[in-house]
Amino acid sequence: MSEIFHDTGAPAGRPEAPRSTRWIRWTVLVILVVPALWAASGLGISMQRILEAPADMWKIIRAMYPPDFSYNQVFERTLPKVMESLYIAWIGTMVGAFFSFILSFGAAKNLSPRWLTFVIRNLFNAIRAFPELLLAFIFLPIFGLGAWTGTLAIGLHSIGTLGKLSSEVIEGIDPGPLEAIHSAGGRWPSVMRFGVLPQVLPTIVAYWLYRFEINLRVSAFLGVIGAGGVGAELVSQLRFRNFQAAGTVLLVTIVVVLIIDTVSSMIRRRIIAGKAGEEGPTELFEEPAAVGVL
Amino acid sequence: MIEFKNASVTYRGGVRALRNINLTIHDGEFIVIVGLSGAGKSTLLRAVNGLVPVTEGSVVVDGKEVAGASPADLREIRSHVGLIFQTFNLVLRTSVLNNVLMGRLSKVPLWRSTLGMWPEEDREIAMQSLERVGIVEKAYVRASNLSGGQQQRVGIARALAQEPKVLLADEPVASLDPVTSHIVMRDLQRINRELGITTFINLHFLDLARAYGKRMVGLRAGELVYDGDISDVSDETFREIYGRAITPDDIMEIKG
Amino acid sequence: MSEGVRPARPKKSIVPYFVAAAVLAFTVFAARQVGFSLSQIANNFDTARDFIGRFFPPDWGWAKENVPGPMIETIQIAILASIIGCTFALPVAFWASKLTANNRWVYYIDKWFLNVIRTIPDIFWAMLFVTGVGLGAFAGVLALIMFSFSIMGKLLSETIDSADPGPLEAARSTGAGHTQAVQAAVLPQVLPNYVAYALYIFELDIRASTVLGLVGAGGIGRVLEAQRSFFRFDRVMAVVVVIFVIVFLIEQVSVFVRRRLV
Repeated sequence: MSEIFHDTGAPAGRPEAPRSTRWIRWTVLVILVVPALWAASGLGISMQRILEAPADMWKIIRAMYPPDFSYNQVFERTLPKVMESLYIAWIGTMVGAFFSFILSFGAAKNLSPRWLTFVIRNLFNAIRAFPELLLAFIFLPIFGLGAWTGTLAIGLHSIGTLGKLSSEVIEGIDPGPLEAIHSAGGRWPSVMRFGVLPQVLPTIVAYWLYRFEINLRVSAFLGVIGAGGVGAELVSQLRFRNFQAAGTVLLVTIVVVLIIDTVSSMIRRRIIAGKAGEEGPTELFEEPAAVGVL
Repeated sequence: MIEFKNASVTYRGGVRALRNINLTIHDGEFIVIVGLSGAGKSTLLRAVNGLVPVTEGSVVVDGKEVAGASPADLREIRSHVGLIFQTFNLVLRTSVLNNVLMGRLSKVPLWRSTLGMWPEEDREIAMQSLERVGIVEKAYVRASNLSGGQQQRVGIARALAQEPKVLLADEPVASLDPVTSHIVMRDLQRINRELGITTFINLHFLDLARAYGKRMVGLRAGELVYDGDISDVSDETFREIYGRAITPDDIMEIKG
Repeated sequence: MSEGVRPARPKKSIVPYFVAAAVLAFTVFAARQVGFSLSQIANNFDTARDFIGRFFPPDWGWAKENVPGPMIETIQIAILASIIGCTFALPVAFWASKLTANNRWVYYIDKWFLNVIRTIPDIFWAMLFVTGVGLGAFAGVLALIMFSFSIMGKLLSETIDSADPGPLEAARSTGAGHTQAVQAAVLPQVLPNYVAYALYIFELDIRASTVLGLVGAGGIGRVLEAQRSFFRFDRVMAVVVVIFVIVFLIEQVSVFVRRRLV
């Protein structure tokens, strides 16, 4: 054996190994593999199809190269539509931010009565359950084709997601400063202005920006059903199998989204870092419970 | 045997953490290193197992050159050198035993450590390490449930599980209270005596250095300014090494 | 009396005002571009009300026969995609973190790769895959695999970035290889987060998969589209309600489990 460890005699005092560890590993494996197999067979996905898929996709990707960089395609067809998606995302986020901000105070357990928080929270949950595409789908017959429908769909959904997040931020504030202001004789406008808002605004605004990043992607595809934006352009190019033009659409979308993402991340980082002077995390989701943003 | 020959470490940005260190340590010695914060103690320690590479000169551990060693050689050298940290560096989420088993990582293939299927021999060594530091009964307890002193002993057990030839300790008791500090220092002393492992300890507190050290090395601004037997050390020696008068912060327990 | 010198009052920067003005201008411009019109909502209120009447009452009879099948398909798509996507994302996330990437190149390439995949919306992926492998659920699964993979990659790699580097240093100092050290020292730290993110991504996948069918990628979406094209809004409503209930239930379960993980 080893030089250092000789037989120290009967291992007295050693605790028993707990049963659970072996168990857990197998259970986890089962939880993962069984549903996957059930799903795969239910969908009719065989190994053969899986193996053929990369080749099929490669055909398409090759067909997209080189992308159609003609003036017409880029500047007259694609770019305006991408900008339209941008406007939709922007206004949609603003609408969502505005209403969610107001409502979130009503949903915060530390600031509002129980019945109110109950109503508003469930309102948020109800809205959040609908993917934006579904909302746009429902709004189409009512508001017609076009950017406004998409904006409304995004705006409404954002109220739900931002509302939930904002109310959680508000609930997480330090009550200390509020007490201090109260005891110094301040009434609730002062409490809000000096106690609540400075604590919550940086994080909430950061969430708005993050939501904007996501809404940009959403507005890109809402066009697929005619609710404005670049989605419609992609659909038509794919339908007519103009793969090079489709490639252009994708590329321009990717570039614009990347730019917005980068700028937005930078701003978010600076907002969070400036909060109470702490070197804040760039990662907004530290708690799994807070991971309800997307 | 560990040998520093004209070893220097210059960090990016120009900071010279170690200047021209010449030091020879024989097998089984028990050495304490003292010096102000920033004098290069941590760097000296980490130069032994290559966590901080020397930028000039050489460091030879047991006949193997650390400076410029290939990744594979470096891993080989490190597997024989155990490092104990001031902040313990345990994986708090997992059990004590799993933490100690980390000392055996270099001896088992990747698939075994990933799936947690450690060979019986390695488990035995881990258990015996825990017995040697006297906390085997906590083997299956989550590491975060232990006190600071207990966590440090797990850290020592982890290093022991490597079956090392050299034990390095970077301010091992700086985060512990006086009573626990003495327990840990005594453990390290005992391990050195019973197992003959060369032991190299950075200490912040001068009274501890005097109480436990056998040979003392003093660093100031990256240079070796003292190297001698502990019995020859006086307050004056410390003043020279530190370059200033001794303050209460340098002593763990104020008498009187 | 304190003898300190009073500091000069910090200069009020004019930049924030510029920024605010620019933002406002852009907002107004954008609003006009999208056809922002409150009056339209008000004017069309009656028309809207009539329309909404056509959604009720939902056609449950038809729904009983025609909804469960596609709905199950939707759920299956989400399950398969989250499991596969999240599994592949695990190693990728480690390569995308400064703390655990093997070297600079791996880090930069991986991060760039994840970012690009993330920029493409899931619906676009669905359209691409439909074009490539044909209509149906397979395209949907592939699309959501990309979706899940990219989200998990980003979330997990950011969590890894803020993990405690101490145990990793300890693992390295025992002579362990890079992957071994990362797996022993960092993986246990982020595992609870990984599971929580996976559950969350499953929620997202369920939502996304309900509408994938609108572009032909399988699931309940195609039923929605079909009924809409027949102007059977009462049936559309039935489907919408079912979707809502299922999404809501799954979300409650997911939140419950995630809370217990923390």
